[in-house]
Amino acid sequence: MENLLVTQTRVIGALVLRETRTTFGNSQLGYFWAIASPALGIAVLVGIFSMVGRVPPYGSSLALFFATGFLQFELYKKLSSSLMGVFDSTKGLLAYPLVTETDVVFARAALIIATYIFIMVIFFGTLIAVGLAEFPRHGDQVLMSIGATALLGTGAGMTNAVILRLWPTWKQIEGILNRPLFFISGIFYVPSHFPPSIKDILWWNPVLHCVEWIREGYYPHYQSTLLSKPYLFTVALILVLFGLGAERLYRKKRK
Amino acid sequence: MIEFQNVSKTYYLKGIEKVILDDVSFKFPKGRNVAILGHNGAGKSTMMRLLAGAELPDAGRIRRHVKVSWPLGFSGGFNGQMTGMENIRFVARMYGEDTERVIEFVQEFSELGESLTLPIQTYSSGMKARLAFGVSMAIDFRYYLIDEVTAVGDARFKRKCDEVFKQKLKRSNIVMISHSMGSIRQLCDMGCVLDKGKLYFHDDVEDAIAHHTKNQNA
Repeated sequence: MENLLVTQTRVIGALVLRETRTTFGNSQLGYFWAIASPALGIAVLVGIFSMVGRVPPYGSSLALFFATGFLQFELYKKLSSSLMGVFDSTKGLLAYPLVTETDVVFARAALIIATYIFIMVIFFGTLIAVGLAEFPRHGDQVLMSIGATALLGTGAGMTNAVILRLWPTWKQIEGILNRPLFFISGIFYVPSHFPPSIKDILWWNPVLHCVEWIREGYYPHYQSTLLSKPYLFTVALILVLFGLGAERLYRKKRK
Repeated sequence: MIEFQNVSKTYYLKGIEKVILDDVSFKFPKGRNVAILGHNGAGKSTMMRLLAGAELPDAGRIRRHVKVSWPLGFSGGFNGQMTGMENIRFVARMYGEDTERVIEFVQEFSELGESLTLPIQTYSSGMKARLAFGVSMAIDFRYYLIDEVTAVGDARFKRKCDEVFKQKLKRSNIVMISHSMGSIRQLCDMGCVLDKGKLYFHDDVEDAIAHHTKNQNA
């Protein structure tokens, strides 16, 4: 029998290609929209802020400021919501003796993360090319912040998936709980400028730390008074471990 | 080698407890074709799903150290939005097979022609079954799981299936569920009877059929 690791890598590879095919639909336009929709989201933010005549909350480029926040937020949101439905959409796959549920989770997460890294490269690249942004000052910090966001999103998605399996109403509840996330994650303001009473509350939102981190990495002098990398990693790891553990525990109950 | 080690499986449905397997240990002997017999609802299909790993036992272990197929004719793993060709590619990649070879084989075998470039959701159930059967024949498994051989296509196509299958059986083995004692006698040389959570093993398929018939008439 061949090496388990080789088999699993191959299976996940095949699943990623399959996911690519099913996520992006039947045409090349699917790939286009995957990139265009976050870009449009940022464009809308930039448009609204320019119209009301606001200066960028930080730096000289509205587009760059929003992009750093929005893309991190979107990466998190996409992972946490797409992975939630993973067990439902892949029931049929489990009849293949080679495939386990975690393979499907990893494949889907890998595709989303790769897609967003691609989007970020395109987006920041374009901003740099047209002179709306500089190159990131601390590339390593930017990469690590994206990695942390990916981990957090994957953990949240897996946790959502196991809760959803036990309690189908979770889909609605999660949607309601996540609605304010866009406003409390520091996407269109600098959280450090807030008074301590508000900062103390915002601090508990792990996605805010993802946004603060990428800005510290991207801008030469952005200094966050809130950022705690240990807190972010703790939350992310707890979610990942909880998701994996609960999946193992309830694996036998699946129908 | 496939082995059941102290495997238990119980279903709970609306407070009703249904024992499918109760502490079953069993080693599938090398080179034998095994029939699984049992009355309706005894859990034969569940046992097949356990064999395939689509379901997990409550207790005990199932060891599969050989390449086991998915339940034959099964097309639930196919994605409706993807074309026949893309589905074939996915399975071939997953099993590390030469994609082009598998496609060629399935093209030749399934006679689906142009339809292979259409999404599966446009297929009739017969076309799907032909595709699924073709794909499982294109890959060399050590064990084929057959859950009630379903009639695939017309008589001519059925003959073609039988022929390919006969070729396969020279090097592979099967585990099979069927209500047709005819096809069991034809393909299997030993049998197990699943009854009230226990698995009774018979070295001669005729003994297994006799046991099963006695259970049916009891």
